Amino acid sequence: MIQRVLVANRGEIACRILRACREAGVSSVAIYAENDRNGMFRELADESVLLEGDTIAATYLNGSAIIQAAKETGADAIHPGFGFLSERAEFAQAVMDAGLIWIGPSPQAIEQMGDKMSARQIMKAAGVPVIPGVEIEEEDEQLAMEAIQAAAKETGYPLLLKATAGGGGKGMRVVHAPDALESGAQSARREALAAFGDGRVYVEKLLMKSKHVEVQVLADTHGRCIHLGERECSVQRRHQKVFEEAPCSTMTPTLRERMGQAAVAAAKAVDYVGAGTVEFLLAEDESFYFLEMNTRIQVEHPVTEMITGVDLVREQLRIADGQPMAVEELNIRGHSIEVRLYAEDATNNFLPAIGPLAVFRPPTGPGIRLDTGVREGDDVTPHYDPMLAKLIVFAPTRNEALQRMRRALDEFVVLGTTTNIGFLRDLCDVPAVISGDTYTSMLDDLYPDGYQFTPPQDHLDVALMTAAVAETTGMHRTTATRQHGSSDVASPFQTLNRRYP
Amino acid sequence: MQHEFRYNGEVYDVLLERTPKIWTYANHCAHPREDGRIRIYFEDGTKAWAHVAKVGDVWWVHHSGRIYTMERIEAGASSDEHHGGLVAPMPGVVLEVLVTAGDAVEAGQTLMILEAMKMEHRIVASANGIVTAVHFNPNDRVEQGANLLEVEDSE
Repeated sequence: MIQRVLVANRGEIACRILRACREAGVSSVAIYAENDRNGMFRELADESVLLEGDTIAATYLNGSAIIQAAKETGADAIHPGFGFLSERAEFAQAVMDAGLIWIGPSPQAIEQMGDKMSARQIMKAAGVPVIPGVEIEEEDEQLAMEAIQAAAKETGYPLLLKATAGGGGKGMRVVHAPDALESGAQSARREALAAFGDGRVYVEKLLMKSKHVEVQVLADTHGRCIHLGERECSVQRRHQKVFEEAPCSTMTPTLRERMGQAAVAAAKAVDYVGAGTVEFLLAEDESFYFLEMNTRIQVEHPVTEMITGVDLVREQLRIADGQPMAVEELNIRGHSIEVRLYAEDATNNFLPAIGPLAVFRPPTGPGIRLDTGVREGDDVTPHYDPMLAKLIVFAPTRNEALQRMRRALDEFVVLGTTTNIGFLRDLCDVPAVISGDTYTSMLDDLYPDGYQFTPPQDHLDVALMTAAVAETTGMHRTTATRQHGSSDVASPFQTLNRRYP
Repeated sequence: MQHEFRYNGEVYDVLLERTPKIWTYANHCAHPREDGRIRIYFEDGTKAWAHVAKVGDVWWVHHSGRIYTMERIEAGASSDEHHGGLVAPMPGVVLEVLVTAGDAVEAGQTLMILEAMKMEHRIVASANGIVTAVHFNPNDRVEQGANLLEVEDSE
């Protein structure tokens, strides 16, 4: 029996997992870096261990220190969350070698699916359809470039360059014409090298107007391997998902069953155990192609939880514990949408933003779920991913879910740090989003010159009036002082001091 | 009461009028509440709540689902915002420096590539000009707002 879980992560997903542990009656241990000392996730754990060091390599990516922390605190299992070490086969192996339970699939499955080229081979062999494309094995810059040129002739344009070792949109470039190939390839290789320590890329045909549809799978050690329906995550920018929903707006029961069976076949091909996601591109003619398998819990897992009633993280704990999964027959009802709140300036090419969360007041009410790792008074720093929260709504129909999302976004007040809330709100009014006619490159088509927001004159007047009234009447409810020119990287840029009127 | 604010690069002069407890501007009314919110009465009779917080010199205003950042301009303050420098949009590391001092550059040309938050950011010339100074080398860490390089506009 798992008694004590160490969560090898931070922020929002650490909170999600720590809460699941609390609900399951399992004690928990958090790890944290010095600049996360005040992190909300620490408070949700029974105990927390400081990992010393200034870089993520010394902290959240430091496998041996994490295993050491588990040993010292008496944890018997490690949950990696997503990102960081979650898809590092050697870490999974080290955890198991240390006599601890790894809450995830086997190191072999991680390795087979982690390398896009081997994953492709295995999928082909398992009868799962794959996109036409070419692997570039050459490490040398000159040879790789020649191979990419040759591959591009084969696949044609537009094409996609992807980091072989990658994920999360890093090291990924779309190339529309031959003259942009060289700079795109250099940039993709450089980013891949920086992010994953592996500059190899993969060239594949870009399917136009296709949807990103992924299937959630769950497999236990008692021989049961099932799918939990799909999620659609077509609305992306720079291959980063921003708007996710379940079910997919154009899904039919027949197609769901075909894609579900393909996903189960993919999982079985690597003897998968635990929760995983098989990502597909769904073309307009209902043909679909394997993209990759994420061998971990995913950011957008809540939308599946909402429509299936399954607690995926609880199932992960159960399965890792050697128990059979507690999932009844698949019963999808209603519609769920998730948006990712980022600290970023949507009107300035989505540049990440930092600052204090002087006011952070999330929406409440029926059908609203907020998964976050921050609260009012926290600082948004440049050290980690700028995702602040995931706002999830659930409603009986897709239209009602969209209406609920609009209401929830309008209620969401975040002051002190620029966020993409306004951009997400505008997305809810885009005709293609309303009709469900979404496809992966739609944001580029929608905002070819970048997203802009121009307020109506009366709203601008009211905002000016509000600021003037607040200034005049001294409503400095929350005041933060900004320290310009500070060279102390580890310290936040703002300190909050509050005065309530 | 008169205030000056900068919003989205433009400067606005706001002259508030006051009746007991109610402030008016551009035919809209505002009634501040004890809890830090402001009740808004639009000219057309609709109502809304506004939330405000001040961070540094900037008033953050939320109303009708939108955020507005109104930078207060102190009376008599001099404006020293433009000096031809190109600044780091956020803390990061310099990946590549593509120009040297003396180079002629065109508007839109990439001058430097930064890595911040695991993404590449291009520092681009805003106008045609001559690079007069480059302040950082590859692998240097830069703070937000650091002057990366200087470009003198050529007319």
